Amino acid sequence: MFYIHNTVCISPQISFPDTDLDQLIICKDNKLYAKEVSYTDIPPAILRRMGKAVRLGVAASNPLFKLYDKLDGIIIGTSNGGMEDCIKFLNQIMHYEEGVLTPTNFVQSTPNAIASQLGFLSKNKGYNITHVHRGFAFENALLDAAMLLVSYPDNNYLLGGLDEISTYNFNIDYLCGYVKKETISNDDLYSGTTDGSIAGEGVAMFMVNNNSDGAVSKFRALQMLHTTDEKKLLTAFKTFLSNNLPQNETIDLFLSGENGDARYTKFYESAESILNKDTAAARFKHMSGEFRTASAFALWISNYIIKNQHIPPHMLKNAVKIKDINNIVIYNNYQGFQHSFMLLSKN
Amino acid sequence: MIKVFVTGLGIITSLGDSLESNREALKAGRCGIGKLYNFSTKYSESLLFGEIKLSNNHLKDFLNVKDLGVSRTSLLALHAFNQATADAGLTDKDFSSEDTALILANTVGGMCLTDELYQDSNQHDIGSENISSYDCGSVGVFLQARFGIAGIVNTINTACSSSANAVMYGCRLIKQGYAKKVIIGGTDSLAKFTINGFNSLHILSPGLCAPFDNNRNGLNLGEGAAFLVLEAEQDIADKKIYAEVKGYANANDAFHPSTLSENGDGPFLAMEEALKNAALNPSDIDFINTHGTGTENNDEVESKAMIRIFSNNLPAFASTKSNVGHTLGASGAVEAVYCILNLMHQEIYPSLNFKEPMADPGLIPNLLYHKKTIKNVMSNSFGFGGNCSSLIFSKV
Amino acid sequence: MGTQELKQDLKEKIIEFLNLIDVKPEDIKDDQPLFGEGLGLDSIDSIELIVLLDRFYGIKIKDPKEGRKILVDINTMVGFIEKNRTL
Repeated sequence: MFYIHNTVCISPQISFPDTDLDQLIICKDNKLYAKEVSYTDIPPAILRRMGKAVRLGVAASNPLFKLYDKLDGIIIGTSNGGMEDCIKFLNQIMHYEEGVLTPTNFVQSTPNAIASQLGFLSKNKGYNITHVHRGFAFENALLDAAMLLVSYPDNNYLLGGLDEISTYNFNIDYLCGYVKKETISNDDLYSGTTDGSIAGEGVAMFMVNNNSDGAVSKFRALQMLHTTDEKKLLTAFKTFLSNNLPQNETIDLFLSGENGDARYTKFYESAESILNKDTAAARFKHMSGEFRTASAFALWISNYIIKNQHIPPHMLKNAVKIKDINNIVIYNNYQGFQHSFMLLSKN
Repeated sequence: MIKVFVTGLGIITSLGDSLESNREALKAGRCGIGKLYNFSTKYSESLLFGEIKLSNNHLKDFLNVKDLGVSRTSLLALHAFNQATADAGLTDKDFSSEDTALILANTVGGMCLTDELYQDSNQHDIGSENISSYDCGSVGVFLQARFGIAGIVNTINTACSSSANAVMYGCRLIKQGYAKKVIIGGTDSLAKFTINGFNSLHILSPGLCAPFDNNRNGLNLGEGAAFLVLEAEQDIADKKIYAEVKGYANANDAFHPSTLSENGDGPFLAMEEALKNAALNPSDIDFINTHGTGTENNDEVESKAMIRIFSNNLPAFASTKSNVGHTLGASGAVEAVYCILNLMHQEIYPSLNFKEPMADPGLIPNLLYHKKTIKNVMSNSFGFGGNCSSLIFSKV
Repeated sequence: MGTQELKQDLKEKIIEFLNLIDVKPEDIKDDQPLFGEGLGLDSIDSIELIVLLDRFYGIKIKDPKEGRKILVDINTMVGFIEKNRTL
């Protein structure tokens, strides 16, 4: 579909500007917050209005803008965008009884605030879009980039996925049963037998194009599936592999979106059941937490693993001997009904 | 290159709940904007809204919705979805085909339940029935589950240009073989949240909006949903065809979060690129359904950008926001349907409330209903964050 | 509150309300234009300042155009607040 070149990820782990993923940052309150970074690149007059999601999105994109003279568009997947600002504005409506309200929270509350702020700061007047379809927000951004690169093969696109934990969407996710009732430590995420996961947030930005020169990896295939039936999931996974992975190639790493929610383990087990015994399997949600664009973190860390030919040990689920990592298959699902498969290969 | 045709339409706005009632109202120059009935806000009396007078309970009964937590945004969408898919003759078999995609656009989502969201987001005990229906994705999730849509499902939010981008995304899915049929829908309902948001920016008119008028003083918020069924040329057989989606483009103004740049680079680029994409010249465009919100900034900038594209040959144009108000995430789809009415019936509708041209550049919208030969029609949608898109529909 | 005190109070409120990063009250001169080249504020800020006048000084400005005459610099704002405040 396309090649991935430079990437930046701001996550709860040590991922930017330095990267040290072997060391796992621990959280004990079910909220994995992305670490704030230095914002000296953002003009103070603009920074002052940004909520966390926008701030992180811009900080992760700035280094990439500097590397590319020609940027043809900005494609963002975010389920909620600036949720904190959205609820701040809502609270204003209630507290001031619909009186005189400040517009900044309202303007920043729209999910497209991130992509548009990136357009503004990079003076990029090209394609600019925000996909917001819950657990498929980033997947649709990926598909959008892939389609654009068929129509405009010489273009470069900034592709990203991000979401934030705000007090309020945390409350809503908690009330929905998406977050565990008991508090756990993230390094203990997969051992529980209860419902819910831990909340996460973060941003991953990718420069993508059709040019293999200097690229780290090739994004080869994407499939989205709606189902609540693990048998249908299994059939679809088999079809995905047979359609996209030639018989002479192997899956060197299966990256699972397992999130510690007992209700959804069956899906991951179902997908894993068809892997060879010597296929390495790894997990990432103890690093990122669960959020609707967590698959962007999964893609970023897959690209990191391919680039460094190294899997942080705490990610590994099974004890197999790791050989060359050429092909990584990512399987993620959001709340047991939005499933996605991705295939990423070494360039 | 695969051509993409429109084979089904569905619409509900303050002008009516069907294609025909909307057309009759547009012909007669009727305005659906007035006092608010369905919910209470401080601005019920002082501001005007393009409100659909049907209550949520009425919509639920009529649409046979028994599930809890279905927002008005989703109900309006369901109504237009039913119409459009029936119009295109789509069956359950089509819905459950992996070749049928559903691409939604909205900006309000379940936030029309402003008070409920406030309760749910500020407490830690038990959520309301609406707990999982606040996000923009909730509409698409609801429709996907109700109809078992098996193809690609997406929701786009680029503020007020959202549904124009949904049409564009849907066309590209068809052209690149990811879908054979795409159900596109824009939907948004009135909400305390958006009413207060736009009010805080001082861009709501206390009276009826007057697009392109010298004394225009803001927009009226509206609500509605419009759906289009898009199909690949080779799969249509002998189906009725409303129009071809001839061209589209998306550009960013890269200027300011809530105002357009003086020369309207974003609007200019969207129109220019859409023409290029359609392989048409400016002189091929017979009519423009403008973004035309009635705010000081939009109408002036859009006028300038249109002059940059069309110079002395500006085609007839109008703003249907003077009929239905600004339906935000639905507006691109609502106006796409109106453009297709222009093509189907070879007629154009009057822009309302215009009295006096602005000093500069002084453009005058179409003010009378009349028959007109129309081959290609352009629809503009510009959103906060500089997200500008233009679509071109052509007679088949 | 004396005029000097009010100026200091207003500057502090503006900095906090508009979240002006790295700006201290003494950085804002009384006759420095608030918009454009001066403090670099924009149209959204002008609305924010109208809200500030309402919330902290009880002054209601209905028409943002009227606001533009008042929101020139600290001197014009303070002059207006002294004459019209209800809080």
